[in-house]
Amino acid sequence: MNLLEYQAKELFQQMGIPILPSQRIDHPKDLKGLKIPYPVVLKSQVYTGGRGKAGGIRFAENTIDAVAAAQTIFHLPIMGHYPSVLLAEAKYEPDQELYLAVVLDRALRRPLLLGSQAGGIEVQAAVRQIQQVVVDEEFSPFYARRLALKMGLKGELIELVSSIVEKMYRLFVEKDLDLVEINPLAVSLDGEVMALDGKVTANGAALARHPDLAALRDQLPRPRIGATTALPSGMRVVELEGNIGILCNGAGLAMSTLDLVYQAGGKPANFLNLGGESAYRLPPNLVQDRVQQGLDWMIQNADLTVILINLVGSVVACDQIAAGIATYLKQRRDGRYPACVVRLVGQNFETAKRSLAALNVPVFDELDGAIARSVALSKSKKKHELHV
Amino acid sequence: MNFTSDHKVLIQGITGALGAIYAPLMKAYGTQVVAGIASGHGGQTVGDIPVFDMVDQALDAVGTVDTTVIFVEPYRVVDAALEAIAAGIRQIVLITEGVPPLDMVRLVRKAEAVETLIVGPDSPGIIVPGQVLLGTHPIEFYIPGSVGLLSRSGTLTYEVALQLTRAGLGQSIAVGIGGDRIVGSSFQQWLQILEEDDQTEAIVLVGEIGGDSEETAARYIAEAIDKPVVAYIAGRTAPKNLPMGHAGAIVASLVAGWGTEIGTADSKIAAFKEAGIPVAERPSQIPDLVKQAL
Repeated sequence: MNLLEYQAKELFQQMGIPILPSQRIDHPKDLKGLKIPYPVVLKSQVYTGGRGKAGGIRFAENTIDAVAAAQTIFHLPIMGHYPSVLLAEAKYEPDQELYLAVVLDRALRRPLLLGSQAGGIEVQAAVRQIQQVVVDEEFSPFYARRLALKMGLKGELIELVSSIVEKMYRLFVEKDLDLVEINPLAVSLDGEVMALDGKVTANGAALARHPDLAALRDQLPRPRIGATTALPSGMRVVELEGNIGILCNGAGLAMSTLDLVYQAGGKPANFLNLGGESAYRLPPNLVQDRVQQGLDWMIQNADLTVILINLVGSVVACDQIAAGIATYLKQRRDGRYPACVVRLVGQNFETAKRSLAALNVPVFDELDGAIARSVALSKSKKKHELHV
Repeated sequence: MNFTSDHKVLIQGITGALGAIYAPLMKAYGTQVVAGIASGHGGQTVGDIPVFDMVDQALDAVGTVDTTVIFVEPYRVVDAALEAIAAGIRQIVLITEGVPPLDMVRLVRKAEAVETLIVGPDSPGIIVPGQVLLGTHPIEFYIPGSVGLLSRSGTLTYEVALQLTRAGLGQSIAVGIGGDRIVGSSFQQWLQILEEDDQTEAIVLVGEIGGDSEETAARYIAEAIDKPVVAYIAGRTAPKNLPMGHAGAIVASLVAGWGTEIGTADSKIAAFKEAGIPVAERPSQIPDLVKQAL
């Protein structure tokens, strides 16, 4: 989960990483009560990069300029996203801009400290100049000093910058983050450092033990197409733009099923992962209940013509899962729902097949056949046909 | 390989949502489940498996064990694993999904120092068909044979096993290394184990988008593996920058300018092709490619 710049900076401040005086602006009229002296910078608060080039950062010398600039930024989409908040910040002229980050290296399975003297907008062009230090054992500040030296820093800057890296690392571990990035870290000739922009990504799996970060997530707006929306029960859905809904137990199986539908010429509308066989909170013995909840969510999508249910596992017998699906479809009050294709493997398959045949729902025990039927139906069926 | 039917096994979290389901299934398959651990449940039994409050107490009662399979809730997984390591257990299978990555960093540091094999988390564990089940694999999908199956998935592993079984290709072992970003053992470690395993004649590697473990594995196979390998990659058509349900399966680079192509299916397929490893287009193609390779 990405945080907005102003949220990241609140965390920096808590850790003692210097930031400029700033104020959150929810509406242009908030600028009349601005507590920071002019000149100020107004910055669009969006999750995507490239806001500077897009015009999402503007300078203002007085209140009239600032209100006009804020109105412009609020109405300026950055990669399709409008900001709901701006950040007003004191203007600052850095002498030098550094790049610093802490990330997790999945191959080494260790945190990695990153740093470069080519910070700010130069960093993209100078990726090769980014230096790395692997935090092999328990962290100690020498890892941060090692990075500062590798970056080519000298004299007082070594201590100054490594103390910032140390604080970034402590934040990274304390809050279970995937990324802490400061770009740029401004360095002035008189030895002052300042985090001018920052990026923080929180780890989704750890959110439940960080209520402060979880609260930030709950404030976020939920975009629709191409975004993941958490279902109430903890299932996950990815929305696409076609007409076949895919419902699977397990992420790998869901991805594979998605690939097969595309390969067969079908257009997936979404795919919903009911949770695999190792989800503690969604145990596999309750898969039939989750199928019903998943169908209930999926049927709300008016563009669906077909729902493909592909479940692989053995804890619950096929006939019980089929009975869950049948009960759900019969309870649809208006009798309208998309065509369904079911793929099951396991005990009592023939019973499952018979019970769903009564509702005109074909049941396959091999995947390719289920895919072919789903794609064929998606091309011939109308949306939400009447089944009563 | 040290996974046989005379091998003794502990289940941590035996009374929880997952352990209570899978421990009896493992035992019924022939796995020697000698004890279960659940704090506060000492003295009870699950099936006929005796339950202890702590690992030490169980080992005092049943003697040494070879492997522990951990089913506890996500935030207690690393603590359970450290408890097992402290008691001298050197093979640990982590089933539960949703362990925070920095917890795993702590565990991996410890496990490397004491040479402990960790499988998972977010893993179906290990099955040696006909002999031993250390996890959640549905036993009826597997038959004994000579194909070693390595995967980052759970239910997709079962799917591939089923395709092999239906084609008459039995398996020497199936291992889910885990779907999370930080997992205890890599494809290379397991490729090496299977290269040395007499039962295994061919290897199927089931990868997915995200990270570079398939690319690294492809290079390792070209250098160090003589047995035939067939690969399959899930997520060719998954949208970029969105989590696909496995914490590890995301095509994205967190760091500015780090390159956006890290973790794509194309990059992985290209790496396998470069290493001369056939890549299946779909799970149902895997058995044919294995037969051709043998």
